[in-house]
Amino acid sequence: MRCRFNNIIWFTAALLIAQAISGCVSLQIEKIQEGVDVLPPPDEFIQKKTSLEEILSCYGAPTDLVDMNGDFALHYRRALYRGMNVSIGIPLKYALLPSPSIKSTGNLLRYDTVVFIFTADRMLKDMKYEKGTDRSLWEDYW
Amino acid sequence: MKRICFVIRILLVVSVCAGCAVFGRGKDFKPFDENSLKQVTTGITSASEVTRLFGPPNKIVKLSNGNAYVYERSIEKVTGLWLVVLTFGNWDTQYDRIAFFINNDDVVTHFGSSFNAETASYAMPF
Repeated sequence: MRCRFNNIIWFTAALLIAQAISGCVSLQIEKIQEGVDVLPPPDEFIQKKTSLEEILSCYGAPTDLVDMNGDFALHYRRALYRGMNVSIGIPLKYALLPSPSIKSTGNLLRYDTVVFIFTADRMLKDMKYEKGTDRSLWEDYW
Repeated sequence: MKRICFVIRILLVVSVCAGCAVFGRGKDFKPFDENSLKQVTTGITSASEVTRLFGPPNKIVKLSNGNAYVYERSIEKVTGLWLVVLTFGNWDTQYDRIAFFINNDDVVTHFGSSFNAETASYAMPF
């Protein structure tokens, strides 16, 4: 009983300290996602042989559709943003003018993308795929 | 002693709950019906029939041998949680899209559609 009481006291103290410093320390974690997963093009997609119809039936409507002076491109994209803010400060602005604080902010926006370029007669001319969200978050950030 | 424990427990619950949560839903609405695609036949349906069924497109792209009509709408779901010193925020936006490729004779040659807006979800950012 004594031991349990001690644990509660410690936990309460930790929470009260956290509450007391809540104006001084904060950690913010954010994620923003736009669009669904973009799959890699299957092996059956071959330049000069695959038609627009096959791409549309596999991938659906594109995120962007761009005219390229005769050719045109379908762009499928998923965007994933991750952000983290850490701030430590002493809110003294009501007592003293200088309020010492330190804030660290990091955010990274990455894309999974596939682009299909078609000729005017609607045959596949070129394609490129990149899965940005599979790369290391840490290495991409630095 | 029991009374002190009880008070401490109440304080704990109050401390842990000293935050708030937010759930938000945003909609960029365009009133087109997925089932209307059954009435579109490539090589037969005209551009004017497309606009009659789906309304004015969000975007028209000029192509070398025709145009593309693009229809788009989205749903965004936002989840936020504020705890004592922690803040979590998650935004998920998903889209419904239809793209019609129309040739110089104003006939639909191809179309593609993706209906993912309803898959937008409330979640935590990890």
